[in-house]
Amino acid sequence: MTTLPNHQDAGQLRPWLLLRVAEFTERDPATIDAATPLADLGLDSVYALALCGEIEDHLGLRLDPTLVWDHPSIDALTAYLSALPRDHGA
Amino acid sequence: MAAPTMPLAGAAARRFEERLGDPEHADTVFNHARVAAADEAEAFPDEICAELDRLGLPAHYVPAAYGGELRGFDTLVQVLRTVAGRDLTTAVGHAKTFLGSASVWARVPRDEADTAQARRLAGTVLAGIPVCWALTEPGHGSDLMGGEVTAVRRDDGYRVDGTKWLINNATRAGVVCLLARTEAAGGPRGFTVVLADKRELPAEAYRCLPREATHGIRGADISGISFVDAPLPATALVGPRGSGLETVLRALQLTRTACTALSLGAADHALSLIRQYLAERELYGRRLADVPYLRRGVGRLHTMLFLAEAVTALVSRAVTAETQELSVLAPVAKAFVPTLTDQLIQGCGEQLGARAFLTGIPGYGRFQKIERDHRIVGIFDGSTPVNRHAVINQFPQLARGWSGGAAGVERLRPLARLSEPVPGLDPARIALTGRGGCLPLLGLAAAVAGVHAAGGPGAAAQALLTATDGVHADLAAYRPAPRDVDPAAYDLAQRFELCVAGASAVHLWLHNHDRAGDDPLWRDGLWLEAVLAWVLHRLGAGPEGTDVYERVFAALSPDRRPSILEAGETA
Repeated sequence: MTTLPNHQDAGQLRPWLLLRVAEFTERDPATIDAATPLADLGLDSVYALALCGEIEDHLGLRLDPTLVWDHPSIDALTAYLSALPRDHGA
Repeated sequence: MAAPTMPLAGAAARRFEERLGDPEHADTVFNHARVAAADEAEAFPDEICAELDRLGLPAHYVPAAYGGELRGFDTLVQVLRTVAGRDLTTAVGHAKTFLGSASVWARVPRDEADTAQARRLAGTVLAGIPVCWALTEPGHGSDLMGGEVTAVRRDDGYRVDGTKWLINNATRAGVVCLLARTEAAGGPRGFTVVLADKRELPAEAYRCLPREATHGIRGADISGISFVDAPLPATALVGPRGSGLETVLRALQLTRTACTALSLGAADHALSLIRQYLAERELYGRRLADVPYLRRGVGRLHTMLFLAEAVTALVSRAVTAETQELSVLAPVAKAFVPTLTDQLIQGCGEQLGARAFLTGIPGYGRFQKIERDHRIVGIFDGSTPVNRHAVINQFPQLARGWSGGAAGVERLRPLARLSEPVPGLDPARIALTGRGGCLPLLGLAAAVAGVHAAGGPGAAAQALLTATDGVHADLAAYRPAPRDVDPAAYDLAQRFELCVAGASAVHLWLHNHDRAGDDPLWRDGLWLEAVLAWVLHRLGAGPEGTDVYERVFAALSPDRRPSILEAGETA
């Protein structure tokens, strides 16, 4: 059972990701540029694996744990997740 | 009475130990005198390692799928334990080849070329050629992403440059399995594992660095290697370019589990010296073995061994039976078992008194070597803080999993029932992160009911469940921080380890007590009662057990090595 994101959801996904990253990196969300590589924001590569788990829970689907390595910014993650087909990870 | 079913891992280990021969005997290659002489001379134990090759130890490092004998990791661990029980330096020096090759075994083959690469490496290992694992570099240590050794695409292959340092067997190895930067910018997709076969490299392409002097494992080849424009074929890459961090994290799940064997062997060895000491020494006209204070202390030290055995058995069986659990269980075992064993060895030293310090008393000189040698186990292959950090990163999913589904008793059977074989390794089941909690803990509630019903120490098991619930409440309250991790998180990770270890003991007892016959350690759940007393005390949830440790001491058999992994076996 999945509640999948689609193009319409990108508008909600980006601010949610921004808040998660802001919380992880202890920054003011307003200061985070969504195009900045997450590593430059202080999110280390092993911690990025854990972020993937949070995204899975939020979206209710299964993702490759290395998702954040391959789409290493908030913009890139939003673009990738928004484009997933509806039945992904079902 | 029907013949007891012999646990498969235990049987393999026993056969191997028999073939090693009597360590007291001068004609045995792997004997105490040769080990002591090599340590004294700070010489690598070449003859002993050659004997281990002759006896087929390398086959245990190679998965059956590639022609070796590695199936269940419980067997690998118990066989290595027998080697470590004689000499940690030898075990560290020989078993490094498993660590060196694990990256290839942990990788899912994409095509024929990958399979051929694995088969070629298998042939190398089976031929007794040492393979080393070169991750660390001067100035970087545990920071894998800081590595400066590069592999740059040139012509048909790659050129490797840079220095790997503090590498076990860097000099002895025929093949170096190294993590190299393949993108100038680095990052999680900027590194790749590559196999550098020294036997095929031009002489000027590499230089081995001098051996570093060490406090323990003095004979080991802890050195380094510098590459200078070293040409490697494109087939030297393990997995696709950029998969290095992923490959190393996968391999570490296998190697961190295997490292527990070193601790179990060291604990066996130290405890055997203690038992010998108690049996032969007298104080104020009576044998030390009759002094209540010493009986209690030594019973407690054996309880610590049983706890280490329980968590090791479950985690090593999980490698192939519940592989997706390893992202949590492997770092838990690697942090917990060596730390516990350091405490156990220290406790043995207190019991031995002056003998722990003197090197010249026949037999007892071995103790100070065990103490020195074991220090390294908590440092290499990810130090204890590094492993705790790996668990801390998963606190959120562990907390979520606890409020999810519980697991029934049958679900734990593949991990805990020692008389049932585990499947072989399927690398496709290795997962970098866990989902839905930690299986031994999710199965604890049902197991507690089972322990009650079977006449075991149900109240203590229930107390562990209550404590585990409390630990998960703290996990849920923890706010992840990628930098400057709160020191309290490390304490919480330690408490989490205690819960996993205690739960492992509960499952192990529940799934094997029916096979234990009249073994006094198993009767009425004695060893489990003792282990839980130790765990609960450490969790702040129970008093220091006293009489239970004395009962454990009384239940130790004088004619065989104490172990809870040999239920139903006679000496």
